[in-house]
Amino acid sequence: MNKLQAKLTELKTNNKKALVAYLVAGDPDLDSTLELMHLFVKSGVDIIEIGVPFTDPIAEGPIIQKAHDRALKLNISLDLIIDMVVEFRKTDSETPIVLMGYLNTFISYSKLLNSSDELGVDAILVVDIPGELKLTNYGITNSNIDTISLISPTTSNERIQQITQNSSGFIYYVNLRGVTGSSNLDVNEIEKNINKIRQYTDIPTLAGFGIKSPEDAKILAKSADGVIVGSSIVEMIDSAKTTKDFSEIENYLKDLHKAIN
Amino acid sequence: MSNKDNYPDINGFFGEYGGKFVPETLMYALDELETTYQQLKDNPEFLKEFYKDLSHFVGRPSPLYFAKRLTEHYGSANIWLKREDLNHTGAHKINNTVGQILLAKHMGKKRIIAETGAGQHGVATATVAARLGLECHIYMGSEDVRRQSLNVYRIKLLGAHVHPVDSGSATLKDALNEALRDWVTNVDDTYYIIGSVTGPHPYPMIVRDFNAVVGQEIIKQSQELFQQLPDAVVACVGGGSNAMGAFYPFINEKDVRLIGVEAGGKGVETGEHAAPLNDGTPGVLHGARSYLMQDEAGQVKDTKSVSAGLDYPGVGPEHSWLKDTNRAEYVAVSDDEALEAFHQLTEFEGIMPALETAHAFAYLPKLLSELDNKSNIVVNVSGRGDKDINTVAEIDGIEF
Ligand SMILES: Cc1ncc(COP(=O)(O)O)c(C=O)c1O
Repeated sequence: MNKLQAKLTELKTNNKKALVAYLVAGDPDLDSTLELMHLFVKSGVDIIEIGVPFTDPIAEGPIIQKAHDRALKLNISLDLIIDMVVEFRKTDSETPIVLMGYLNTFISYSKLLNSSDELGVDAILVVDIPGELKLTNYGITNSNIDTISLISPTTSNERIQQITQNSSGFIYYVNLRGVTGSSNLDVNEIEKNINKIRQYTDIPTLAGFGIKSPEDAKILAKSADGVIVGSSIVEMIDSAKTTKDFSEIENYLKDLHKAIN
Repeated sequence: MSNKDNYPDINGFFGEYGGKFVPETLMYALDELETTYQQLKDNPEFLKEFYKDLSHFVGRPSPLYFAKRLTEHYGSANIWLKREDLNHTGAHKINNTVGQILLAKHMGKKRIIAETGAGQHGVATATVAARLGLECHIYMGSEDVRRQSLNVYRIKLLGAHVHPVDSGSATLKDALNEALRDWVTNVDDTYYIIGSVTGPHPYPMIVRDFNAVVGQEIIKQSQELFQQLPDAVVACVGGGSNAMGAFYPFINEKDVRLIGVEAGGKGVETGEHAAPLNDGTPGVLHGARSYLMQDEAGQVKDTKSVSAGLDYPGVGPEHSWLKDTNRAEYVAVSDDEALEAFHQLTEFEGIMPALETAHAFAYLPKLLSELDNKSNIVVNVSGRGDKDINTVAEIDGIEF
């Protein structure tokens, strides 16, 4: 069992919900990312999701797109991100880390991703591969790295079955038709679909996209095994990029943590 | 319209190129589109409707015209021009939009979206949407909005909304990103008319099939006009739809050379160009695996071309496959060469080509030096140059 599976099992046993927080690596710079990751953990985050910047992030709304652009201005690439994760692991060997990004950047670094069991990364979520496919289909064969699959409101039952059969780690349920940072949550639909997914699998299902307030998180945590929050955090990081005073984020994450448990 | 080569395969691959690399939300829409297309593509009623629109709305067949002065000038092969510039709205792009809007109608979609570079696909989409009274949104990089302002106004006159896209390089690639984001958001009621043989399966196949009428007509007209098939078919390649349409019916005619001309920008050797088949490596962008201009980190590079319609870092997956299997040749010409060819065709034949099209003509000096006067070549005149007059004037230092 890897760190991610261990964490999710532990939460489930204790009847707790997972708080997953997203940030873009290198926004505003890699040192800040490292600092923020530790701050996340201190503030009650269970799993860290690191966005890998890409020139053409088609599933992102404007807030996260701009964060990708800022990171790319600093030439943040996957090898630098792995170095940073290795650094993070020197003081945190527990918190699961998921990389989220686009296929082209991952296949460009497949050699690196296969090179060691000690990269510190527990799973990869590729936005632009169909849910039933895994990274092994693209030459990324590191058995210590799970592929997180996405299921969306438009996924057919047949596909849900295929996707859940191939999944490890957790299922990422995309709450809405849209890009990250949208705000059209349909709670009834989400609940219905998560319950449907549960008929096919025991793997935890976490809900992401469009979650902003602790209230959103609280409602969704009733049906999901956890919530994933991204754009709101990235927006706060951007506001604090000069002062590097991240206390707003700390408070926000603590509120989220409280709201879901 | 049936596919004699069985490409793409059932997963949408041409060899190792193509596929469906999209967010999960779009998978059902692609499946729905594929199912609809498979049901309709050989259906006599559907084909009747499609070909009727091609004749009466688009004005097909387009002529195959003998370029007498240009032929005499080079003193080599006979040069024939496939006059897609004479189509309604002024380019080959209308062939595809006329077909795809029929699919949209059959699927009951109420809202149409598209990306555009040169604006020709935007105009062609807005045109067919207007004809059916459908809401239409066109995404266009803000750099292209500037350099193709005439087409922007045409799109607006046709009742469509133009959304300038500022992100990235603010050109065609970024317009595609934004169109995909719109589609993910409005997938239930929206039909996305992709403008080239790019994007996820089944688009490269559908756009090719709707443009294949160009190659089919070339075969028929060649036989009528010079009693044999041409020795070579030449077309410019952006995403690759006009080239694919002209090439496809010739794929099994192995004696016919198929030559695609990419945008060499400031010169392929400078790195500032839009010629992925000449200077790219396989990668994944906009739903498909294909040759791509990218750096070692897998980031997509900025492109450079005087022609908005060719200013794209990727290319349709079937072209990548035709390249690797050596069935087609892909070359590049520079901005300067294309501009020279623009003036040359205008002055020699009274035909003002689009800057995209001018790239195909700019390869003629090279090609014709390898041929003799017993040969016949066909150049696909993918579109007319009215939209580019401002750009050319600016380059020539002329103010209105
Ligand atoms: C006249 C003309 N030719 C060619 C192209 C390039 O597209 P494709 O390579 O898909 O034919 C465009 C695109 O805008 C165009 O307007």
